[in-house]
Amino acid sequence: MSRYFYYHVIYVGLINIMLFVPWTLVHYRFNGAVSGMAIAAVAGTFLAYLTTSLYLRFPGMSLPDIVNSYLPRGFAVFLNLIGASLWVVAGILVIYSYSSTIQQFFNPDMNPYLFLLLMTAAGVWGASRSTRSVQFAQEIMLLISAPLIIMILFKAIFSPWLDWDAIRVTAGYVRTPPSFISFCAATFVFAGYNTLAVFNRLLPPGTQIRHRWIIPLVCSFFLLVSFFVPIGFHGTVGVAEYLYIWSVTADSMIMEYGFVYRVLYVFLLLYTALSLMFAMNTWHTAMEFIKACHPRHKPKPDQFPVSPANWWINLAFAGLTFGYALWTNEQRNQWVNQNWLIARTFSDVLAAVILGWLAVKAARRKRSPIPSEAASQDS
Amino acid sequence: MIEEIRSDFIDATDLFTDILDNGFWAIEIAYFPSLCDERIKDGVLVPFSYRFDPDEFRRMLHSNPKYENADNPKEWANLLLKGYVLLKIEGKHYSFKSDRTPVTQIDIAQVESTLQGPQAAFTEDLNINMFLLRLRYNVPSLTVEPFDKGTLSRTALFVVYDHRLVNPNILKSLHKQLDKVKLDLLQSSGQMIKQLTEKSRRLFPTILETERPDRVASMLSKGKIAILINGSRFALLLPVRLFDFMHAMDDEYESFWMSRLLSIVRYFAVVLTITLPALYIAIVSYNPEIFRVQIAFTIDGSRAGVPYPSFIEVFIMLFMIEALIEASIRLPRIVGSTATTVGGLILGQAAQQAGLVSTIMIIVTSVVAISNFVIPNVSFSQSVRLMKYLFIVIAMIYGVSGVAVLFFALIVYLCNLRSFGEPYFALFTSRSKEKSNKEKG
Repeated sequence: MSRYFYYHVIYVGLINIMLFVPWTLVHYRFNGAVSGMAIAAVAGTFLAYLTTSLYLRFPGMSLPDIVNSYLPRGFAVFLNLIGASLWVVAGILVIYSYSSTIQQFFNPDMNPYLFLLLMTAAGVWGASRSTRSVQFAQEIMLLISAPLIIMILFKAIFSPWLDWDAIRVTAGYVRTPPSFISFCAATFVFAGYNTLAVFNRLLPPGTQIRHRWIIPLVCSFFLLVSFFVPIGFHGTVGVAEYLYIWSVTADSMIMEYGFVYRVLYVFLLLYTALSLMFAMNTWHTAMEFIKACHPRHKPKPDQFPVSPANWWINLAFAGLTFGYALWTNEQRNQWVNQNWLIARTFSDVLAAVILGWLAVKAARRKRSPIPSEAASQDS
Repeated sequence: MIEEIRSDFIDATDLFTDILDNGFWAIEIAYFPSLCDERIKDGVLVPFSYRFDPDEFRRMLHSNPKYENADNPKEWANLLLKGYVLLKIEGKHYSFKSDRTPVTQIDIAQVESTLQGPQAAFTEDLNINMFLLRLRYNVPSLTVEPFDKGTLSRTALFVVYDHRLVNPNILKSLHKQLDKVKLDLLQSSGQMIKQLTEKSRRLFPTILETERPDRVASMLSKGKIAILINGSRFALLLPVRLFDFMHAMDDEYESFWMSRLLSIVRYFAVVLTITLPALYIAIVSYNPEIFRVQIAFTIDGSRAGVPYPSFIEVFIMLFMIEALIEASIRLPRIVGSTATTVGGLILGQAAQQAGLVSTIMIIVTSVVAISNFVIPNVSFSQSVRLMKYLFIVIAMIYGVSGVAVLFFALIVYLCNLRSFGEPYFALFTSRSKEKSNKEKG
């Protein structure tokens, strides 16, 4: 069952491109991005190990369930709402930036809101499903897109146009003091473990997440690729000229055989899948956080057909997305993105601290066992 | 007895009633000659007439399992309609089972044919079907539950499963669903599928219909439940997954690698038949730059004579092919070949030479049609046939990216479906998990 956990780790590691992580890192490439990444790899791995171990101490419980059953109600609702807002914003940001990418590279003469409508509709549709359905869809989408991911990554790394000198020069800036924002951006790549916040409900009790060394290995690889490959293609200076940095990088490659010539289109189709998966997961998680605020909430990870509340909450998220698209522009979107990356880093640490505290509390409570209603959930 | 029955069947002139008198006894007899077969002669008439012996006759009444007491007058009408003979002997009422079975031959698989597997298929008779099933899956733990459904037709059906392997939760929900069945006439297994699915307007079937006894046997051995319906050549299987619809019985009989290759080809064909017309519209009308220049020019060159946008072209050709498929099912066999020849001529060359459609579109149409027929299951193949129109509509609005998004939505839809509480489309859910569910439940 733990394979589902690694699917989350992998697609969150890949989606960083849509949250402007490479752009942020490239921005600070001479002022502490490389050292920030190095620290982030260590910190991210540590947090991943710690948080997953803590979640496994609460078998079958999501973060909202844990918080609800060990903390006073008001405080629990407050924490759940914070969690929900962080997760919603993640989905909104990805959907918005993917829609604008498509607008620029695929359908330049289309009304931007029209494509946004399609993306939010698909996001609402995916996220309003039951947790188990989301997990199944997750697996299938990732396995379908895996060949493309591997193809593009290796095509990039082994491309003759990749200038290794530029990469070496940039890597030489590892001794500059790390910048905080690039540290936050880089930890995001490791943040796949956070999806346990809801998907822990589906891990059967007694599950062990083995092979956790995959996290540092795979995520560091993604981080290095998404930072260094654009530099290798565009040069140490030229790389800063682009906003949609990876779309331009993908467009630097061609496929010699087959119907499609420019890798860009394969890349964009791949990221349709990844962005929708990310939106589906984040909105689903946010929805579960909000549903957990209801006093008589019972988690139902395998509900069919789903309750109408799922639809309403997700439609509200879609409305928020349109509101955000109306308000934002390129500068504001950058600003929101960077602040979200910072807020996310803090919330990760906070979640680990709270979980650790509650784990100690739970261990003490075990001496006088009180059955927690949420723990008796059937996976 | 005769008057009471006559008052129930006032205008039924085909009901035979008489008082038989052999000089010793007089018995009353009533039956429908059209529903009963020749067994009535050996079972009733011969012992009653020239071989009559009162003691022997009484002994026969008690020892022959075909004779049963029928003292409840409310049951009479029902028994007569099921092909029983009603008798009144020495003041007591008996029924004699003599229902006619029109089918005694085993059918040959027509819808799901195989190359080298068994060719036998279910018939329209329940008992022969049960025989065919017992022939392949004969274990003591095989359970058969009889039901009657349909307020007018009172069609007999059997729910068959292996009680060692079946998941009791699924059985419970099946019983609940069977209680809810509201039908006047139950004539085919398709009606039963509609009644058994919770939301009857699903895009994809969640109950498998099959005419092959070997498929039913192999599914029973996996703990699934089969429903056999009297008068239907198709058995129902549940719960099923998407992979069961894409699975031909040949896959179990052919060599390992060949069957793997063929099933990959089948899945590939499904993706093609769903997306190819949509992709044609998207590429021609929205994003020709996706393809390398040479191919883009080839496609555009072949469309040089076509005066309208690509989606109209697609609709023309798809209408033709759908009409052709429909015609070749409905037409009598003799005329059928004419339809295909004429249709083939139009689809093949004439439409393109007349400048109505492009050459590439003809290839697209034939790939779509052929790929659609690769799917082993008819109802699944029809669902897939429907899906491509959704993709065409989205491609008309959004181009290639719309097709990609809709493909995602389709996957989510399939993952969201449940067949009697079991996941419909999920990879690697092991059988051990199903068993652990069973232990819990």
